[in-house]
Amino acid sequence: MATVNTRVFFSKTDRAKFISHLDLYGVFQRAVRRSGLNVWYTEGLSPRLYLQFMLPLSLGQEGLHEAVDFRLLEDIPHNETAKRLSEALPFDIRVIEVAEPKMKNTDIAFAEYEITGNFDYDKFGNFCERTSIITEKKTKKGVSQIDLKPYIYALDVKDKIMLRLPAGNDFNINPALLIGAFEREYGKIFGTRIVRTRILDRTENDFR
Amino acid sequence: MYRNKETLQKLESFLLEVEKPARYIGGEPGSICKDKENVDIRFAFAFPDTYEIGMSHLGMKILYALKNSVPNYWCERCFLPLPDMREKMRENGMELYGLESLDPVKEFDFLGFTIQYEMCYTNILEMLDLAGIPVLASERTGLTPIVMGGGPCVCNAEPLADFFDLFAIGEGEELNLEIMRLMEQCKREKTTKAEFLRRAAQIEGVYVPSLYDVSYNADGTIASITPKNGAPQKVKKRFIRDLDKSFYPDNFVVPFVDIVHNRAVEEVMRGCIRGCRFCQAGFIYRPLREKSRETVVEQTIAICKNTGYDEVSLSSLSTSDFTDIEGLLCDLNKWTKENRVNLSLPSLRIDRFSEQILTEISSVKKSGLTFAPEAGTQRLRDVINKNITEEDVINGVKTAFEGGYCAIKLYFMFGLPTETDEDIVGIYDLAKAIVEQFYQNPNRPKGKAPSVSISLSMFIPKPFTPFEFEPQISGDEMNRRVKLLLDARKDRKISISYSDSKLALLEAVFARGDRRVGKALLTAWKSGCVMDGWNDHFSFEKWKLAFEECGLSMEFYANRRRSYDEISPWSMLDMLVSKEFLIKENERAHNFEPTPNCREKCSGCGVKDCPVHKAG
Repeated sequence: MATVNTRVFFSKTDRAKFISHLDLYGVFQRAVRRSGLNVWYTEGLSPRLYLQFMLPLSLGQEGLHEAVDFRLLEDIPHNETAKRLSEALPFDIRVIEVAEPKMKNTDIAFAEYEITGNFDYDKFGNFCERTSIITEKKTKKGVSQIDLKPYIYALDVKDKIMLRLPAGNDFNINPALLIGAFEREYGKIFGTRIVRTRILDRTENDFR
Repeated sequence: MYRNKETLQKLESFLLEVEKPARYIGGEPGSICKDKENVDIRFAFAFPDTYEIGMSHLGMKILYALKNSVPNYWCERCFLPLPDMREKMRENGMELYGLESLDPVKEFDFLGFTIQYEMCYTNILEMLDLAGIPVLASERTGLTPIVMGGGPCVCNAEPLADFFDLFAIGEGEELNLEIMRLMEQCKREKTTKAEFLRRAAQIEGVYVPSLYDVSYNADGTIASITPKNGAPQKVKKRFIRDLDKSFYPDNFVVPFVDIVHNRAVEEVMRGCIRGCRFCQAGFIYRPLREKSRETVVEQTIAICKNTGYDEVSLSSLSTSDFTDIEGLLCDLNKWTKENRVNLSLPSLRIDRFSEQILTEISSVKKSGLTFAPEAGTQRLRDVINKNITEEDVINGVKTAFEGGYCAIKLYFMFGLPTETDEDIVGIYDLAKAIVEQFYQNPNRPKGKAPSVSISLSMFIPKPFTPFEFEPQISGDEMNRRVKLLLDARKDRKISISYSDSKLALLEAVFARGDRRVGKALLTAWKSGCVMDGWNDHFSFEKWKLAFEECGLSMEFYANRRRSYDEISPWSMLDMLVSKEFLIKENERAHNFEPTPNCREKCSGCGVKDCPVHKAG
């Protein structure tokens, strides 16, 4: 039968934030196998269960609306898929919704983060007001200098930091870069918690 | 679900600064949490090595599930945190905790170590210390926590005698529950620790070291071992009679991180029919017992379904010796193929390696195959009773090469009793013959070269083997023999790796050490020795100093031939195999005489009610 493209929106919070992106494939793969869902495997020499994560999440960061795709070989209601997968996943990874994919991962353009910690939020607000925030970014090619300022697309600092940054597989700014730049000047912030709350496309709509 | 909030809070504050934090948080699928209010006995199952190694260990999976199957018992796991984590824990005033509740393990009733190899002894002390538990048993006065040990190393537990309250000898399924039931009773009666231990010593298979007095002769050997307070003269090991009826878990804790053996495991047999004379497992796990094909198939399916693993390994000391292994693989393959599960056989004997086995286990990836000829010449293979011929080896690799494999790994031991330079060079000759075999295969993959890697490990004489009387050769002699082999090697398709002779010496000391060695262990640990099995942590210099400081000689324990009538440190234990048999086998070894395997002919090893003997 034809394969049914399926997108699972999930949260990865609390202890699950300590599971690295690399390990997350295995965690989901075994959960899918435990769930008994009939899914598509890649073809070729060593077939593997097809799972595509839409946007990697850094170790230590939490996500409220992350997305992963796989292909079902059976036509079952989305809520049934959600239920079976939910039961098989570790406690701190929860299925929020199962849906047919509407967008491609290349459509991802921004992500929003909520950041809390032992911050002097006023200082952080002022820091972000500067005309440029130069810091180092590690890429595959090595370390390069980057000005973060033009990439802070939205910012709201009160008793927590709400931040919108570019996201996607081509160009991504990790909020930890900004926190790191701030820490270099003002000292280490304890108890930092970074939560990715939304993933958005170019038109600033939620990634679906 | 109960989690210790204080531990969790502390962990949250620094866990991102340590490597692979997912090892330290618990909460893995399959892990078992209970309501503390309904739990009477808490057991921390401790593996004195890293999470990745400990989580791969089958014994832990069995005993974890078994203990947790009792509603009012709660068994949790703990491992040795790596140095970065230990530092952070100490900095933050945290003690070793159970991964399920995150409660400090010192609040538990038992801290039970499985002791798999000698080089983890300092890790045990490190874990006790990290747990805030005094390392010396004599300094632990309360009824709980009881520090107990099990696993292969406890068949000579003497170097650890000062640190443990009791040892569980043999297989743990029945024994662990009996010990826990006794604790339940003693807690109700509010007895002393001494009373608990006195009663525990009455349970078959429990060895309480503090209930035995050891005296020594002027030459350092043991003069006598005297039990007291009603402890038995001989502690008899426990074993499970019927594996089909014995508890086997239908689920494992499935880790978040990649571990050494990240797959489902089905145990198909215990014991081994072979009787290789250097192999401790081959003697202490006697008699051989097999599961039925039906049980194996049923348990394999359950464990794969519940864990979600896509690989299952059929585990035993020598899985290719399973009666009708081909039939079993055929039965399993129906299900595994349909469900995209790979079958793996970890311990193949080269003389039982058939084309059919190869087809049944071969996944698409043709990685390497590993065999263990153990010695380079027929004479030496007869001495160690390996019972394979050069022809077996050549036929085995021929099958492998024809099956598309190009890489062969070979395990050899060196420093074996009676070994000569000819035997050492024989290792290279055998590897060379294997390379030549590759080129005789007309269908060999074009443009590909075979790779044969020789892995050498130092012979370590172990208790309860026919070689328990043998000396280990000196470090200088070991190095000379390794060099001999390295110099003989001309063909670059053959690679050679070898183990550290200093580590092997220490392992030999602990394998057959007596109680006095415990002092050196404590001294070495205090001077910073830990994770000795890891090259980057091992400091022989510190160990040497520790032994000197305690007035002990490593050579006395490792390099001395022991007479047949010497009282061995482990002679209070009865592993069912008789000393007379071990002596007879030692004599046969020196006469280059092999002994047939248990299925061919019973050699009268002393094990009563042996199912193999009955079947024969």
